[in-house]
Amino acid sequence: MDFLLLSNYLLPRLDLIELFNLNQFMDFSLLYANNFKMFLPEIFLTTSILILTLHASFIATSRFLGYPLISKSINSLCILALSLTFLLAYNNSIVFMTTYQNTFIFDFLTLNVKQIILLGSLFCLIISEPNLIRQKINNFEYFILLLCAVLGLMLLVSSYDMISLYLSIELQSLCLYVLSASKKDSSFSTEAGLKYFILGSFSSALLLFGISLLYGCTGTTNFDNFYLIFSETSVNDIAVVSLIKKSLLCISVAFLFKIAAAPFHMWSPDVYEGSPISSTIFFAVIPKIVLFAIFLRLFQNIFSNFEETFLFVLIFSSIASVIVGSFVALKQKKLKRLLAYSSINHVGYLLLAFASNSLEGTQALFFYLIVYMITSLCVWSIFLSLNTLLNEQKSKTLVDLASVAILNPVLGFTAMVALFSLAGVPPLAGFFAKMEIFISALSASLFWPSLIAILLSVISSYYYIRLIKTVYFEVKPEFSYVIPLNRSCSFTMGTMLFFLVYFFLNPSLLLLLTQKMTLCLF
Amino acid sequence: MSFLIEEYFSILLLLLVSVGLACIILGASYFLGIQNPDTEKLSVYECGFDPYEDSRNKFDVRFYLIAILFIVFDLEAMFLFPWAVSLAHISSMGFWTMVDFLLELVIGFVYIWRIGALEWE
Repeated sequence: MDFLLLSNYLLPRLDLIELFNLNQFMDFSLLYANNFKMFLPEIFLTTSILILTLHASFIATSRFLGYPLISKSINSLCILALSLTFLLAYNNSIVFMTTYQNTFIFDFLTLNVKQIILLGSLFCLIISEPNLIRQKINNFEYFILLLCAVLGLMLLVSSYDMISLYLSIELQSLCLYVLSASKKDSSFSTEAGLKYFILGSFSSALLLFGISLLYGCTGTTNFDNFYLIFSETSVNDIAVVSLIKKSLLCISVAFLFKIAAAPFHMWSPDVYEGSPISSTIFFAVIPKIVLFAIFLRLFQNIFSNFEETFLFVLIFSSIASVIVGSFVALKQKKLKRLLAYSSINHVGYLLLAFASNSLEGTQALFFYLIVYMITSLCVWSIFLSLNTLLNEQKSKTLVDLASVAILNPVLGFTAMVALFSLAGVPPLAGFFAKMEIFISALSASLFWPSLIAILLSVISSYYYIRLIKTVYFEVKPEFSYVIPLNRSCSFTMGTMLFFLVYFFLNPSLLLLLTQKMTLCLF
Repeated sequence: MSFLIEEYFSILLLLLVSVGLACIILGASYFLGIQNPDTEKLSVYECGFDPYEDSRNKFDVRFYLIAILFIVFDLEAMFLFPWAVSLAHISSMGFWTMVDFLLELVIGFVYIWRIGALEWE
């Protein structure tokens, strides 16, 4: 009966909306050059994925060429494709547009997030290139799947309809499941893939359930229509409002699953540890900013009238993430698990900024996310450079960090700077980002959550400082031949180190960027 | 209530007809057919396997490969039918979208063919 009342109530308005939409019905005569211009990076990436698939499947199985191993050349081709896509995204002239029956939106936020993820995945591919031989990844599908995941993320950030949102989330997560299980001879990797798959599809099911409830309440899946329906506070029917609240709850839980926030974080340490290192770097660095961007659009722009439902969930999850990330990480011996818990901890701070639900909060969130991406690229490339002949095939533990400062003082210094920035120590960008988040949370009167988060950040900085102590003051019990640093890792480390210092001294560039991104949401 | 009937009556009709048809088909074959049961006929059909063996036995992964590929191309046929029926309403955009879909599917097919996923031995 609830549905009945609601549909009577909403029907007149929906008629208007449908009339409005009919004008944009799919037809070639209504597709303009701008629609293709807007999608040029995606179209280029799709085409290059298809061509690369054909090219690789013909070369790799050719008896005439002697079944060559082409993973290295495919990696370089993928780097080329990604950098060309970045150039296309960078040279875009469109400021604001929705297209394909309002299913995709294009504004400053999507443009910037696309550029950031393209640059980030470019760096991921670059630093994982020298490790391909060590990881024994010989199948070319790995890189093509990575490109597909990037494509899914690019579509996800610009989706403006529940259907395109769900489909692009599935595209990127299906690719990520396979990436995490891609080391076929390792049972850890298979386990990680299976865990990721089961929990990921569970969260997708929750998301779908929420979407279907919303569709049942309103009869539409489009963000624009949701915005029109909910922008006036005239939906007074209690049954309908409670149903919409339940659906928003489902959607926010699915979102928290995807970003591995605390009550739903169980998959992330296992997946980080089991997956091959190049996949782990990709999971750790890239998808978070996209998920945050799309769900910020959903919660702060489209459903901003229902903020009291999901704000409580976000605050609870933020506190839980900070607690789990600080206390559980103290006990971790393996570096990958430690970094996984550290990312859960950082997600807690990000959710605190999300929950402050203001212009400053969202700006602080994007600032923190970009700084976090830079720092974690630096930390992961340090992680890749810890190889000696003894530990090459094993998973790295805290002991592997010992006496790094003696063997390679520059590497030790970089590790110190990056870890201090993760902990939030003053002369670095991490401090500035954390400070902005706490200021925005305090100005939104979130006193208790910010107090807890500040107190617990002391504990989390303990384990970062313990890592620095290991780097500088501990000596390895047995020495072994150090495998020399490769050029791509040191290039990435140097670039990221520069930005970490630069964005503290002169954050105005990043502040301007994040401000422009934030203004798209309010 | 009139709104519910108006909107969902055809679905109710479909539900009734499909349940009825299922009952008729199953019931007719149960009552009218000649039945000579034996162990092989009564056992659950599962291609290539004994259905009640230890779940920790090794199995041939090629069955699953074939099944997965079958699902993909089966779904393609499932897309093609409603597309063919409604082609008159969806303009040239609908036509070329399907052509694009088929093209990408063919690239996938070429890929599985080249890497030998279709070969049993």
